[in-house]
Amino acid sequence: MDSLIVAAARALSLGDPLAALKRVGLREDAPSLALRGIAMAQLGDVARARALLRSAARAFGSREPVARARCVVAEAEIALVSRDLGWAMDALDGARAVLEASGDRVNAAHARYLGARRLLLIGQLDEAERRLDGLDAGALRPSSRAGCWLVAAGIAMRRVRTKPARAALDRAARAAREAGIPALIAEVERTVRAFEAPAARLVSRDRERLLGLGAVEALLASDALIVDACRNVARRGSDRVSLASRPVLFALLRALAEAWPGDAPRETLLRRAFGARHADDSHRARLRVEIARLREEIGPLAGLTATKRGFALQPVATETVAVLAPPVESDHAQVLALLADGEAWSSSALALALGVSPRTVQRALDALAGAGKVESFGRGRARRWTAPQIPGFPTSLLLPASTFNR
Amino acid sequence: MKKIAAEILREYGPFPGVDGVNGVSFDGRRVWFASGDTLSAFDPDSGETLRTLDVASDAGTAFDGTYLYQIADAVIRKIDPETGDILHTIPAPGNGGDSGLAWAEGTLWVGEHRSCRIHQVDPDTGEILRSIESDRFVTGVTWVDGELWHGTWQDNESDIRRIDPRTGEVLLSVEMPSGDGVSGLESDGGDRFFCGGGDRAIVRAVSRPRTADAER
Repeated sequence: MDSLIVAAARALSLGDPLAALKRVGLREDAPSLALRGIAMAQLGDVARARALLRSAARAFGSREPVARARCVVAEAEIALVSRDLGWAMDALDGARAVLEASGDRVNAAHARYLGARRLLLIGQLDEAERRLDGLDAGALRPSSRAGCWLVAAGIAMRRVRTKPARAALDRAARAAREAGIPALIAEVERTVRAFEAPAARLVSRDRERLLGLGAVEALLASDALIVDACRNVARRGSDRVSLASRPVLFALLRALAEAWPGDAPRETLLRRAFGARHADDSHRARLRVEIARLREEIGPLAGLTATKRGFALQPVATETVAVLAPPVESDHAQVLALLADGEAWSSSALALALGVSPRTVQRALDALAGAGKVESFGRGRARRWTAPQIPGFPTSLLLPASTFNR
Repeated sequence: MKKIAAEILREYGPFPGVDGVNGVSFDGRRVWFASGDTLSAFDPDSGETLRTLDVASDAGTAFDGTYLYQIADAVIRKIDPETGDILHTIPAPGNGGDSGLAWAEGTLWVGEHRSCRIHQVDPDTGEILRSIESDRFVTGVTWVDGELWHGTWQDNESDIRRIDPRTGEVLLSVEMPSGDGVSGLESDGGDRFFCGGGDRAIVRAVSRPRTADAER
């Protein structure tokens, strides 16, 4: 290290990017490029920061593989914070391997944590958990340790496991206080609020009730037949039937479950499944066909019986039927749920996180923008979307992850 | 070039409130080290911290028998070790790319890190008298018994090497264990080097091989 690099690095660690730029702003050697990149990231110029770190990595080249690996990790972190999820994990994994081999435990552990965080955001819980398991948590800086516990909490929340989620959040809060970074403390508090906010709505014939994560967990552990409108599945214990790609069948099932233990009139079913305002013969014929399809799909969980005015659900091997719905139901709720974290997202990152096509997300964003619910800035590939913060809007059960199959 | 493994005699620190060691010097009694905002002196026998001066200290430290020299930003400052007063300032030859600093025979020797060079500098004017090339990134620099030694630290690998001051040829490389960086280097005039512990808040005492070792 030379004098100005040391001075600039110290300025950065004290959160003074301008003092750092004063020292290395005009230098083009590899460490200066890297520090300039980090300074630009602290100043919020993400695009410039990434370009500088990429140049730094190139300038370090094969002569200084460890320094190059650190640049790759820094760039991945900036990408993650700016909600660009499209980057290649291979590069990060390669960098982590170099750092591990060279004995740089701190940055190797940090790289592993970043990988886990990205996997959590795109809903790959198993893989995210595997990465956390292999993580050398003792090596992490307090700031990344807080982030690491947030990832663990996020996994537990998506899996509806209250106790480990609470424990991880406590540890995240402790690490954030130790790091003394206000933004990090606020992020932990935001996650705690999301954890404590209603995670779902229990809908029955007469009433609706908001459920916390703990109540959802208890319900899932019961023997009730659960019609889960967060994810379009029906389940009882470990048996589950997914109707995610059969929206008409799911709408019928939900209407029947909401009417249980009574029956649902044909008119209600037609309106809920087809949006039909009145029932004519062709509608009735179509309803019979769809009911037959639904009966076949959910056979092991429930039967369907015809009544005088419609149909009724007959759950198998249980006395209880429950409908779980998102706490707030609106069009494109999943997109809003992701944007509710207050960050700026690219449409491609949203598509990755939701597991749908970019076109689908674009249509949802256009509709939401038309309704004034989201805003965008930037153009082309740099375009980012944000939503005004909705206090307490939970993200937990809305994220597309394999929550209920475990 | 002959290579031998470094024999680490002792580790001082980690010193509280210190992120890393940027430069090391020895005034015959106390070991001084630079840590960014302060220059601190400790007793090499007891390890006890004796004195701390509030001085910007980003890179090498040297001692001329009376005064300390310290690199910060792109300058070299002459400092009174008793009061901490700055007596004189000259530009650093690497314009801020400077790393190690040593005093010998009335001149300053300054390592320029990524340029892999060592400059001999006039301590009054800052004028470069001559430059020696190395093939690695130069960290600390020291003279002892007419031998010029410098530290290298490149991508987690570090050594302390003796070079021919006329040609720059490497005569002996004392290799540090992988991951133990040398930032700042000073001889005690005898059989020990004091080495800055890089990004760790420590100073290491490393055995100086005798000339016979190098020529065996």
